[in-house]
Amino acid sequence: MTAAVGLGAGAAAAASAAPGTPSAAGARTASPRRRGRSRARETLAGYAFLTPNLLLLGLFVIVPLVSAVVISFQRTDGFGTGTFTGIDNYARLATDPVFWRSTINTALFTAIVTPLSMLLGLGAAVLMNSVLPARGLFRSILILPMAISGVATALIGVLVFDQNNGVLDKLLKFVGLPAVEWQSGGAAAFASVVIVTLWWRVGFNMLIYLAGLQGISPGLYEAARLDGAGGWQRFRFVTVPLVGPSSFFLLIMNVIYSFQVFDIVFVLTGGGPQNATSVLVTYAYNNGFVTRDQGYAAAIGVVLLVITLVFTAVQWRVSRTRDLVD
Amino acid sequence: MELTRRQILIGAAAASLPLLLAGCGFAPPATTSGGGATGSGGSGATGTLTFTTWGTDAELAGFKSAIDRFQQANAGATVSLNSVPYGQMFTNIDAQLQAGNPPDIFRVPYYTFGSYAGRDQLLDLSSYLPAGFSDAFTPAAWAAVQNRKTPYGVPHHTDTSVILYNRAALETAGITSIPTTLDDAWSWDEFGSVLQKLRGSLPADKYPYAANWQGNGVTRWLSWLFESDGAFLNDDLVTPAIDSDAGRKAVDYTKNFFSSNFVPQNNSVKSTTLASDIWYAQTSAMVSAGAFLVPDATSTLDFEWGATFSPRNVRSAGDFGGNALVATKATANPELASAFLQFVTQEEEMRQFCAGASLLPTRADLTASGIDFAVRPELSPVFVGQASSVQAKDSGQVTSPSMSKIITVLQDQLEQAFVGGQSTSDTLAAMTSGIAAATAGS
Repeated sequence: MTAAVGLGAGAAAAASAAPGTPSAAGARTASPRRRGRSRARETLAGYAFLTPNLLLLGLFVIVPLVSAVVISFQRTDGFGTGTFTGIDNYARLATDPVFWRSTINTALFTAIVTPLSMLLGLGAAVLMNSVLPARGLFRSILILPMAISGVATALIGVLVFDQNNGVLDKLLKFVGLPAVEWQSGGAAAFASVVIVTLWWRVGFNMLIYLAGLQGISPGLYEAARLDGAGGWQRFRFVTVPLVGPSSFFLLIMNVIYSFQVFDIVFVLTGGGPQNATSVLVTYAYNNGFVTRDQGYAAAIGVVLLVITLVFTAVQWRVSRTRDLVD
Repeated sequence: MELTRRQILIGAAAASLPLLLAGCGFAPPATTSGGGATGSGGSGATGTLTFTTWGTDAELAGFKSAIDRFQQANAGATVSLNSVPYGQMFTNIDAQLQAGNPPDIFRVPYYTFGSYAGRDQLLDLSSYLPAGFSDAFTPAAWAAVQNRKTPYGVPHHTDTSVILYNRAALETAGITSIPTTLDDAWSWDEFGSVLQKLRGSLPADKYPYAANWQGNGVTRWLSWLFESDGAFLNDDLVTPAIDSDAGRKAVDYTKNFFSSNFVPQNNSVKSTTLASDIWYAQTSAMVSAGAFLVPDATSTLDFEWGATFSPRNVRSAGDFGGNALVATKATANPELASAFLQFVTQEEEMRQFCAGASLLPTRADLTASGIDFAVRPELSPVFVGQASSVQAKDSGQVTSPSMSKIITVLQDQLEQAFVGGQSTSDTLAAMTSGIAAATAGS
C-alpha cells in the first residue's frame, strides 16, 4: 500500500516536472528514484524500530561490557579511581588454583548439563507430542519449573539435599540404601547441583523441541513407515535431523546458561565444600562483592565472555549447514 | 488517528521505562532541604535524611518508632526509611556510593564498617559529636566504630553468641549442671566433656553441637581465638598475629569438633545450612546463637530450651556482632545526620530498640543495668553478660579496612582445616600469608 502511494506521487511529480513528456516515459525515468526513496524510507523505519533496542542494548550491555574490560586492567575496590595495573589481574588468574578449579568445574558442569538437558528435553518432547493420555497435564508439570526463579529452585534443592534432614536421604534410608553426603562430599554436592539444574532446565528444552516437532510434516513419518523404517529409525533419521535448528538453538542457549550458572550454585552449595562446586561466576561474585577485588572479578568476567564467544563462534561455523527445514 | 498495535506497544514500553528503572532497588536520594541543623539530638534539627537498612520485622518497627519520635522532637526534620533485603543491601550501597548518590545514613555490620570507613566513604563525626559522647558506650563498642582513632559511626546495638541447649537432650546425657554466671562458664575441657557425654548418648545421626560460623559469621570463630587471649592482627591492624599458641589452640580445638563427630560434617564455615536450622530440627543438642534468634526460636520450637554462656579458656570472650549506624561523607546535611545518630543511641531509645528486637545495648549504663527482652526476658542476663566479655582489643581488630578480604582468608583456610584435612600448622601459615596479603597497602 505504501509503495502504491509512493508510485502515484512519484509519477505525478515526474509529470509536472517535464510537461509534454509522455507519462509512460516519465514513469520509466522516475522509477529508480522512487525505488531509492522507498528504500531509504524503509531503512529509516528499520532503524527507528531498532533504536529503542539498540539504546537499551548499548546502555545495559555494551557500556558495562566495555567498562568491565577497562576495570579488568585495574586494581580497584570500586571506590575512587582504580590503579592501572596492565595485565596483572590476568597474570594472577594463571597462578590462581581456585580460578582453575572453578574453570574446570564450569566446563564439567557444561559438558554434563548441556547434553543431558537436551536429551531429556527431546525425549520428553517426543512423548508429549505423541498420543499420551493427559499430555497437557504432563506438559504443564514439566514446564512448571521454568516459572520458578533459580533462587527458589535452589531453596527447594536445599530442602531436598540437606544431608541431615533432607527428603532424599530420608528416602534412601527408608529403602535401605546408605545416605549420601550431599553437602560435605565434593562429588555428591556437584551431582546435587547438576540434578537441580536438570529439573529446572529440562522443561525449557522440551518446550523448544516440542515446537520443532510440531513443525515436522506427519507425511514424512508416513513415508518412512511405508519404506519400512522402525520406530528408532524414524526417530534417528527423521526426527533428529529435522529438529536440527532447535538443537542448534538449545546447544547455544544451554552452553551460555551453563557458563553463566550462578543462582543455583550460590544458594544450594555456596561453591563448597572446598570449592568442589565453585564456578566462574560465583568466584567472580565473591571477588567482586565479598572481597571487593573488583578488577580481578572483572578479569574473570572477561575470560568467561571470551570462552562463551569462542564457543558460540565455533558452533555457528560448524552448525550453519544443519539449519534444515521440512 | 488510528493507532497500530506496534505503535501501542512502543508507546507502552516508553511509558513504562521510567517505572522499570525506578524499580531496580535504587531509590533516589532524598533531596535535602538545606542545613540549619543542630548538632544535638534535641529539637531544632531540620531537613530531610534518607536512611537505608535491612531488618527483621521487630527491627524495622523499632527504627520506625525511633524515626517518629525523632521527627516529633525535631519539627521540620524528616527521615525517609528505605528497607531492603539483606542480600541486596551492600551491593546497592556500593553502587550508590560509586555513583555518588548514597543515602545519608545506613546500617552496617561492624565487620564491614572498616571497608567503608577506611576508604573515605563515611562522615567523620569528630566535629559533630559533643565532648564526652564516647563515654556513654562500652570501650568495646566505641572501638568498633573507629578508624585510625576517628569515629565514623555510632554503635547502635550489638549481639553476641551464647550456647542454646535442648534441655531434654542434655538431661538424657546426664548433664544437669549448667552454668548460670559468666564466671562459672564451662572451661574448654569441661565443654569437651559435655560434648563427649552427648556424643555417647545421642544416635549417630544426631550431634552434640552446631557452630554458627557460616558465611560472614566466620568472624564468630574468632571468639575461640579470643578465649585463648589470641589476636589475628597486631595493634597496627596490619601485621598478622594469628600464628601463635592461642591460634594453634583455637584451630586444634575447633578442628576436633569435626574429627570427633561433635558437629555434623555440613556445619563447616562454607556450608549453606545454618547452624540454627540444624538445632531447630533437633539434629544437634546445642548451638551457638545470637540473641536475635530468641523470638524466632520461642515461636517456632516445641521443645524446652535454655541458654548458657559460651565456654571460656584463658578468659571469656565473644564475637562483637550487631551493627553500627553511619552517615555517608556525601550527605548534604551532616548536622542533621549527626543529630539522628545521637538521638537513636540515647538511653531510652536504645533500651526500647534492643528490648523489642532482642538485641544487646552498646551503652555502658544499659550494659550495667541490663535490659529485658520482650520475649524470654529471663534470658537477657545471659546475653548481656556474655557481651560484657568482649574486650575493646577484640572488637577493634574487626574494624580493619581489610576485614572483607580477611574474612575470605578465614573461610578458605578454616574450611580446609575442618573438612579438608589441612594440618593446624599449615592452616596458621596460610592464614598468616593470606592476612598479610589482605592488609598489604592499607
